[in-house]
Amino acid sequence: MRDFENMNPAAVTVHLMLTACITIFCMEPVLLGLSLLCAICFFIMRNGSKHVGFHIGAIGMPVIFALLNPFWNQHGTTVLFFINQRAYTAEALFYGAVTGIRLAAVLYWFRSFSDLMTSEKLFYLFRYLSPKLALVFSMAVRNLTLFRQQMQKIRLSQKAVGLYREGHLIDDIRGELRIFSILLTWALENGIITANSMSARGYGSGKRSSFTFFRWHTGDFILLAASVLLGGAVIAGIASGATDWQFYPVCEPAPYRLPLISVLTAYGLLALLPVIHEGKETWTWKRLRSEI
Amino acid sequence: MFVIRSENIRRMLRIALPFAVMPALVLLLPLGIQSQYYALVSFIMVLLALLLFLAGFERRDLGTRRMILVSVMTALSVLGRLLPLIKPITALTVLSAMYLGPEAGFLVGALSAVLSNFVMGQGPWTPFQMLAWGLIGLFAGILAKPLQRSPLLLYIYGMLSGVAYSMLLDIWTTVWTYKEFTLAEYAAAISTAVPLTCLYAVSNLLFLIVLRKPIGDKLSRIRKKYGL
Repeated sequence: MRDFENMNPAAVTVHLMLTACITIFCMEPVLLGLSLLCAICFFIMRNGSKHVGFHIGAIGMPVIFALLNPFWNQHGTTVLFFINQRAYTAEALFYGAVTGIRLAAVLYWFRSFSDLMTSEKLFYLFRYLSPKLALVFSMAVRNLTLFRQQMQKIRLSQKAVGLYREGHLIDDIRGELRIFSILLTWALENGIITANSMSARGYGSGKRSSFTFFRWHTGDFILLAASVLLGGAVIAGIASGATDWQFYPVCEPAPYRLPLISVLTAYGLLALLPVIHEGKETWTWKRLRSEI
Repeated sequence: MFVIRSENIRRMLRIALPFAVMPALVLLLPLGIQSQYYALVSFIMVLLALLLFLAGFERRDLGTRRMILVSVMTALSVLGRLLPLIKPITALTVLSAMYLGPEAGFLVGALSAVLSNFVMGQGPWTPFQMLAWGLIGLFAGILAKPLQRSPLLLYIYGMLSGVAYSMLLDIWTTVWTYKEFTLAEYAAAISTAVPLTCLYAVSNLLFLIVLRKPIGDKLSRIRKKYGL
């Protein structure tokens, strides 16, 4: 019983990256539509009615792209009308819309990815690459808060000393620079002290063991395997040319036969995985509550 | 667990990636891969390049102190990137590279990109930003001696790196939006980004002028004091 957020980060990353990357590199309108729908569904399931501004921006993008593309794209044969003796074609309009949908879908997937992947999870992923790098990364994250607090302390003490007037532009800038300078000196010295105490406790002298919150459960393996299988099938289908549309000069859809339909089904399943998962969790939760 | 902890696999990756996988991809490009996969291939290439640098890092003995200083400088430049509009990230990367060495420079640049994107928004452009800032740091570290000696050279490097950063990211903009790469489209992308490029170059210059002396002095003092 875990929602998508609490699945193993490696499995989640593989799934979301496959879903998003296939969207980036494909130009099949139905597949892109599926991707956008699932991405919006997943986003709304997680966030509810929040982030209206983001929705307006992301959904407005296909419209803007569709309307603007014919202006700089002169390909296409079905002329709708002329502006300044330049043809405004239906094919270019359609191509613009498809590009816009693709970009919007990618934006939604990556927004969800950013929300899901906290820096702690990214730290866990970095460990696969290099434990040393993961250490540097996690210390940088910790330093962010530390430095902000220290900056606040320095600012207060500077104010107490009364070194510069408040509300005076030049004095404000000079004050900020002085604070930054003090912070830098402190941060470097503090870093050296940290390094010394790490060496004193034996860092770098042998193999390290490490602790992590994330484990592999059966569900994670299922998610990983399903993503890899479905994603692999879709990529193979795209590489074989089953999804190739021709947009210019005349719009020719890819033939909707078995290969394309199976690619679409596989992608639909892949993109629906998180939605199904979240839906199932919500349903189980509701059912359990009604039985109490 | 599929951790790359094994020495052998790491060594294999280090040799196979630059000498076999990446050239193979480049050679495959004109040989029948259609233009619609340019975006995919460029994305994979950038990921591989990053993987190469970052996996190589495990073997290099930077020393604990230098490693911690890298994390300190990364945190400082991320704090700076949260300022509106102007970003001191390049200036800080270049300055840390000059005094802490090329690897440290690469790391400060690449890690600041990932970390600050937690606030600014992660996206498929993150690896490109990581590579761009990483390379700016790497070259600044290699050119450390002349850059330390002549401030003028440093300012020129700062402005050029602003331009280079913008142009590298425009490659991604082009392949992403147009799904193919032609010089005309690239030129269009660059020309629409001219105001931003200028902003990058000028803000790099300003930050380097303001920060060169204080940060340079502090870093070189730390280096002298603790014998890095």
